[in-house]
Amino acid sequence: MKRLSIIKFIATAGMVLVLTVGCADTSKKDEAVDVAAEVAAEATEAQNAIAAAKTANKKVQSVGFAWRDTGKLIKKAEAAAKKGDSKGAMKLASKAKSEAELAYKQYELEKGIDRTVK
Amino acid sequence: MKKLILIAATAGIIGGAPILAEAAPSDDLKAFRSFFQKKFPNVKLDTYKDGIYSLDADRRAAWEEFEDFAPPYEDGVELGKKLFNTPFKNGKSYASCFDNGGIGIRQNYPKFDSKTGDVVTLEGAINACRKANGEKPYKWKKGKLAAVSAYMGYTSRGKKMNVTIDSDPRSMAMYERGKKHFYAKRGQLNFSCADCHVYNSGSMVRGNLLSPALGQSTHFPVWRKKWQKKSEAKGKGGPTAGFGTLHRRYGGCNKQVRAKPFKAQSTEYKALEYFHQYMSNGLVVNAPGLRQ
Repeated sequence: MKRLSIIKFIATAGMVLVLTVGCADTSKKDEAVDVAAEVAAEATEAQNAIAAAKTANKKVQSVGFAWRDTGKLIKKAEAAAKKGDSKGAMKLASKAKSEAELAYKQYELEKGIDRTVK
Repeated sequence: MKKLILIAATAGIIGGAPILAEAAPSDDLKAFRSFFQKKFPNVKLDTYKDGIYSLDADRRAAWEEFEDFAPPYEDGVELGKKLFNTPFKNGKSYASCFDNGGIGIRQNYPKFDSKTGDVVTLEGAINACRKANGEKPYKWKKGKLAAVSAYMGYTSRGKKMNVTIDSDPRSMAMYERGKKHFYAKRGQLNFSCADCHVYNSGSMVRGNLLSPALGQSTHFPVWRKKWQKKSEAKGKGGPTAGFGTLHRRYGGCNKQVRAKPFKAQSTEYKALEYFHQYMSNGLVVNAPGLRQ
């Protein structure tokens, strides 16, 4: 009787141990998968932000009103993305896009203003 | 009244109608000169060819000392003369490409070419001459090109600028393009050429006096002490160290207001030069100039 109790105890403890270790392992794997997905999503977001900045800058370049440093900001964003710094890349790309959009607004405003001496 | 202004502004926005009016170039020139004569009533028209030295007596005195004693561009002009007179490999020379053998003709550039519909600058004509004679063109902004141009300018000293706007609509279109560039605010600092060199000419920007746009282009290419120092710092001294063409200066100005510069001899800068030089018509050539 006593032997049976010991066997039952060992079996139960074993099962608990197996379940605990197994679950912990799965949780770590899930966590790793989540992190990888997040990194990939951020990298994609950074690439999209860079592409949007490039498009905006090309648009203003085509009318001859691009600002001096916008292209440099885009290059810095690309370098940051290459290093895996997606957040930094997005920040730089967003600044570049904003510059390009402001420059285009400047072009549109200047188109309609006569500043010649009278 | 406010309502009227609002209606007029709204109509303009909705209609997208450009407010810029196309005045005749001769009217533009008249208004341009008149502006400066009102702004600086004590400055004689014929001294505008001297840039900032037309506005500041002390700087003028120092500049005249340099000019009388040993202007630093002298060796560069000599080099330009030597290059100008050295025959190409095919035996021809620059003289074969220009009216009057290339002597005393700076005042006629830039000029409109009705065959190509393009504006030709003096530097453009120099490099075109080289290409036509089987020679490699010079680099656009400084060095030997500026030296040859400086020599040609030097032989034209005292001749009155005489840029013509052709009856060809393409000529007028280039003039208008240059005029728009000149007056449009650009770059992150939101400045136009006119902001500095028309409306604020004579004002100080840090230690620099802003030169008047009237007569500004009559003394290009120029020898700038700043460019000389820059070349020497790179170990590139010599007779052309301080030389730079007008398009080099345009690029520098655009960068200073944080605008992306155009390439030297781009259509944009050729158009700008066309307008800019036309505004100095009637003033005499004083190239090469000596500047800060």
